[in-house]
Amino acid sequence: MSGKLQEVRLRVYRYDPSNGGRPRYDIFSVPVKKDTTVLSALLYVKEKLDPTLSIRFSCRMATCGSCGMMINGLPRLACYTLVSQLKSKTITVQPLNNFPVVKDLVADFTDFFGKHRAMKPYLLRIDTYEQEKSNISYRQTDEELLKYIQFAYCIRCGLCYAACPVVATDKRFPGPQALSQLYRYYIDSRDEGGGERLEVVSDSHGVLRCHFAGSCSQVCPKGVDPALAIQLLRRELLFGRRTG
Amino acid sequence: MSVRNPVVTALKTWLIPRRYGVMRWSYSLQRISGVAITLYFVLHIGETANVIGGSQVWSIPSYEYARQVWTETVEFLSNPFFDAGLAVLAFLIFFHTSNGVRLFLTHFGILLGKPHRPEYPYHPASMTKAQLTIFWVSILLAVAALLYSLNIFFKVILP
Repeated sequence: MSGKLQEVRLRVYRYDPSNGGRPRYDIFSVPVKKDTTVLSALLYVKEKLDPTLSIRFSCRMATCGSCGMMINGLPRLACYTLVSQLKSKTITVQPLNNFPVVKDLVADFTDFFGKHRAMKPYLLRIDTYEQEKSNISYRQTDEELLKYIQFAYCIRCGLCYAACPVVATDKRFPGPQALSQLYRYYIDSRDEGGGERLEVVSDSHGVLRCHFAGSCSQVCPKGVDPALAIQLLRRELLFGRRTG
Repeated sequence: MSVRNPVVTALKTWLIPRRYGVMRWSYSLQRISGVAITLYFVLHIGETANVIGGSQVWSIPSYEYARQVWTETVEFLSNPFFDAGLAVLAFLIFFHTSNGVRLFLTHFGILLGKPHRPEYPYHPASMTKAQLTIFWVSILLAVAALLYSLNIFFKVILP
């Protein structure tokens, strides 16, 4: 830890379904240093000021994707956001947009993971016996790897889903995370899902529903660029030569 | 479990594009201009039908009646509010059309960068310089159309 202690006001969204269910904001004064993260500030509140505050976190190093929340109006990982980088004396913390709230800052990911599962996020092979035998290696060239490796960096934190204006208005839209993962497997040279994969997203609530606001790519903490995957997926749907 | 008001959330995502960068502004302007142009066309068709005789559109109105309705409609529409509305509409139409070309091309995979290994600081390949240029050209065209229209109605630039 380095630097002098400074005070910031943490304005925290509070919601407790067992206590009437009316959301409110609580304000806490928290001492921070230059390298204090928003997650550390929230943990200070939980340890010293209000133990009833609910937050979800795990790795503290932007790998698990658990601590996503709206920080000063933008979806960010609390463990990856320094208080000093926000350049604000008051920091407003809310649960992720486009997700139901379980309690305080904890969002419910049931729909989000359901949509992810619907994309069959695993390699599909025509010969399942060959796949399950698992003594065969599937070789790839660097060029084949580069087609999908960027999208394989997804940590399923839900920030892109919270930023997407289409998810906000169409609950049946799979969202940027699920669609980018669909493209990640569709374009993988080892995958033989082909047209079967595209069928899942070919209706009016699927990939054609994206209006390319690009907010998903702006907030992704891993540089996955879901907007790019969605546009490439759309091109495949319109002109793709691969069929299952 | 709480679900925040979906109507409020939807309106916020449309009408408050700040914090997410240029592309979110492009999204909001494209949506708002699309709705505004559609509404204008509906009202325009209604107004035109009124000029030629309303529900009697399938019969030929007398010349005197048609002239009277035409004069009344022109008088009703000749005020600064409608003129200003038409100037704003010119902005929206020019923006929607030229930015629409950008979106049309990207939907077909044109003007996009290539996937690559992410390296910090991240620069999304979905938003290329070519696209940014088209967006700003759209804004320039729309502002030019707005100024031209304002000048026609209010003589604000050239007498």
